[in-house]
Amino acid sequence: MIRISAPDTAFEGEVIELKAMIQHPMETGYRRDSKGEIIPTDIIKSFRCTYDGNVIFEAEFFPGIAANPFLTFHARASHTGKIEFSWTDQHGERWAEERMLTVS
Amino acid sequence: MRRAYLLALILTGCSENHERIAEQSQISSADLRSGYEFLQPETQALQDDAFANPGYLWVDKGKALFNQSPEHGEPACSSCHSDDSRPVSKAAAHYPAIDEQSGKLVNLESRINLCRERYQGLAPLEYESDDLLGLTAYLSHLAQGEPVSVTIDGQARKYYDAGEDYFFLRKGQFNLACSQCHNEHWGDKLRGDTISQGHGNAFPAYRMEWQTFGSLHRRLRDCDSGIRAEPLEYGSETYTAVELYLAKRAEGLAMESPGVRR
Amino acid sequence: MKIARSSALLFLIFLSACGQASEDRLAGPVEISGDAIIEPLNGKQGDPVRGEQIFTSREAGHCVLCHQVARLDAEFQGNVGPVLTGIGARLSVGQIRYRIVDAQGIWPDTVMPSYYRTGGLRQVDHEYQGAPALSAQQIEDIVAFLELQTN
Repeated sequence: MIRISAPDTAFEGEVIELKAMIQHPMETGYRRDSKGEIIPTDIIKSFRCTYDGNVIFEAEFFPGIAANPFLTFHARASHTGKIEFSWTDQHGERWAEERMLTVS
Repeated sequence: MRRAYLLALILTGCSENHERIAEQSQISSADLRSGYEFLQPETQALQDDAFANPGYLWVDKGKALFNQSPEHGEPACSSCHSDDSRPVSKAAAHYPAIDEQSGKLVNLESRINLCRERYQGLAPLEYESDDLLGLTAYLSHLAQGEPVSVTIDGQARKYYDAGEDYFFLRKGQFNLACSQCHNEHWGDKLRGDTISQGHGNAFPAYRMEWQTFGSLHRRLRDCDSGIRAEPLEYGSETYTAVELYLAKRAEGLAMESPGVRR
Repeated sequence: MKIARSSALLFLIFLSACGQASEDRLAGPVEISGDAIIEPLNGKQGDPVRGEQIFTSREAGHCVLCHQVARLDAEFQGNVGPVLTGIGARLSVGQIRYRIVDAQGIWPDTVMPSYYRTGGLRQVDHEYQGAPALSAQQIEDIVAFLELQTN
């Protein structure tokens, strides 16, 4: 599950706030189960946000990031275009969602 | 001789009952407080944030499930439940409740599974599955702000009594009853943690300890583990009865789901 | 003869009515004198350094969950139970011992668990069945530690 907060419209030059959250256990690889066995690492490794194809925000995640990671960042609206949010985990599996921003 | 036997019997009766059941204690209605009030300000802020509250991941999922037609063209929940017909918007605040058809007490999870079985011809969803958590999160969220209010008379009475019995029953290796911490010692500190009154009005909830969303039954299992008592099964009749007792005990508190708790 | 048998029977009923003779209730035999257990459990000798570790450790006694002791190296000590600073000056060793072994035997409504109890409990987690929450040695270690808390 993914939650995105992004405005539908903005004025040219306006600073917009973007929020993205993804459901993920972000298992550190340091915890043990009830039998004492290590629970294997299972984390998202990277997040990227592009605006009309250009990267405007990137992050590398490590085991210290809590489960269901939540990011907030800003961008300057320049022209109408697609904003894409994508996450890639340690196995190479990828999730993505997009929003259209109309700039006047 | 008879007098002696009688004395012995009385002694057995008195000590046996006192051993099992904790002394009756209650929270006065003036002192009734949601678990929210025992949270750190940062955790309260997280619950209050309509985006950052991770519980909304499940509310969103539930909303989607509620409105979509299941796999093979069966009716979606929304096709029977709308604002005009069989509205469910505040229903969660009045559960657990007696299911008319079976005469049994059902909580939100069992109610959803009964509907799936009877009206959609679908298999029940498992406790703690994202789908069931999503649906209970969505329905509970619709009732957010509504005061908890349940019926405990008629067929519900025996379940309420059973729930009350469990609440005051001393159990586990530590031989403690729920009432001892939650009626008598709320506000006191266990290490750095403040004991709450143990209400269920914010459930299903996102628990920091779980780093995920979970049902009230999951929380009750954790409670029992905490006093070194064997947890009961998910969906057990006893835990459902305890839910009813807790709901009556929390009467008047506002529904808060999706709650965020420690 | 008849009187003796009736008395014996009455005595047995009385014993079971009084809530478990020591053999059933606790993990081992103890002799209770008033509100104290004078003899160390199983003849064990307590080590106060180990006792302090057990007192503060989450995996062992974790007494700091509910009790505070001044100058102890542990953050955020609870307050569900009474402060134990100076307890060694207020209570005898035997009294301290009994309170850890079976506080519920002294005060039936207390929220303090009986750490040496195994009998008459219900719905015990399968992981903890058959043994008391604290062993005789652990209890003696805690007693030795608390005995030294005199100011």
